Amino acid sequence: MSLQDKYKTLIDTANQSGVSGLQVREQNNVLYIDGSAPSAAVKDKLWSIYNQIDPDYKSGDVVINVNATAASGSKAVVSTNSGNLNIRKGPGTDQEIIGKAAHGESVTILSEANDQWSLIKNAKGDEGYVYKQYLTAQ
Amino acid sequence: MKKTNAVGCVLCILTLLFTTSAIVSCKGKDKKSTETTVTNTVTDTPATTTPTPPVTISGDDELRRGVTDATKDYPNVKAAVADSVITLTGEIKRADWQKLNPTLNSLHPKRVNSANLTIK
Repeated sequence: MSLQDKYKTLIDTANQSGVSGLQVREQNNVLYIDGSAPSAAVKDKLWSIYNQIDPDYKSGDVVINVNATAASGSKAVVSTNSGNLNIRKGPGTDQEIIGKAAHGESVTILSEANDQWSLIKNAKGDEGYVYKQYLTAQ
Repeated sequence: MKKTNAVGCVLCILTLLFTTSAIVSCKGKDKKSTETTVTNTVTDTPATTTPTPPVTISGDDELRRGVTDATKDYPNVKAAVADSVITLTGEIKRADWQKLNPTLNSLHPKRVNSANLTIK
């Protein structure tokens, strides 16, 4: 079975969910799905379908790069496992920590540096970069 | 003698004129056939499809920086990068893996190998 057949539901859902610039390519036995999701919910839905077809993503035969860009001024909740989220001077863990945002705290997204780091402002007014993985769109 | 020369001269000029016009008309025909070929080529061009651009794959150094940031809060996960493939070992909670893997995918690796990562 080809990868496009194995992941047909995933590809069909991406096509039907308004993913812009969608590209589905197969290269060296890996299926690459690229595009921009209209919302974080669409991105989550695609990952959920991927997890159903390939539990815990164990085959490693797909690379999904469909990310949602949060609008400037939108709110997100800090979703760390427990502790505070570091606010840094630049986009990288080697950058100086200039503030903290608590688990569950609501922050304002100012812009997105890349697919991993967002520039935010916390309730206290500290501005800096945080890791997107720990933010949940509101 | 003079009359013969004059006739000869007229014939000569006529022959020259004929040859020249023949060459010109021949050139004209050549040009016409070239133009036809060009027109055909132009008609064929829109039928060819644009090739799909290759997938963007990050280099190892860029991937290592991204992987270091992504796995910082998961001390039990060990990650290695070689030939643009991210290989993970160790262990991670299922809920954390569902957060971490999308981030690793967004770094543009060739693939993510988690065959030896224990999901708890």
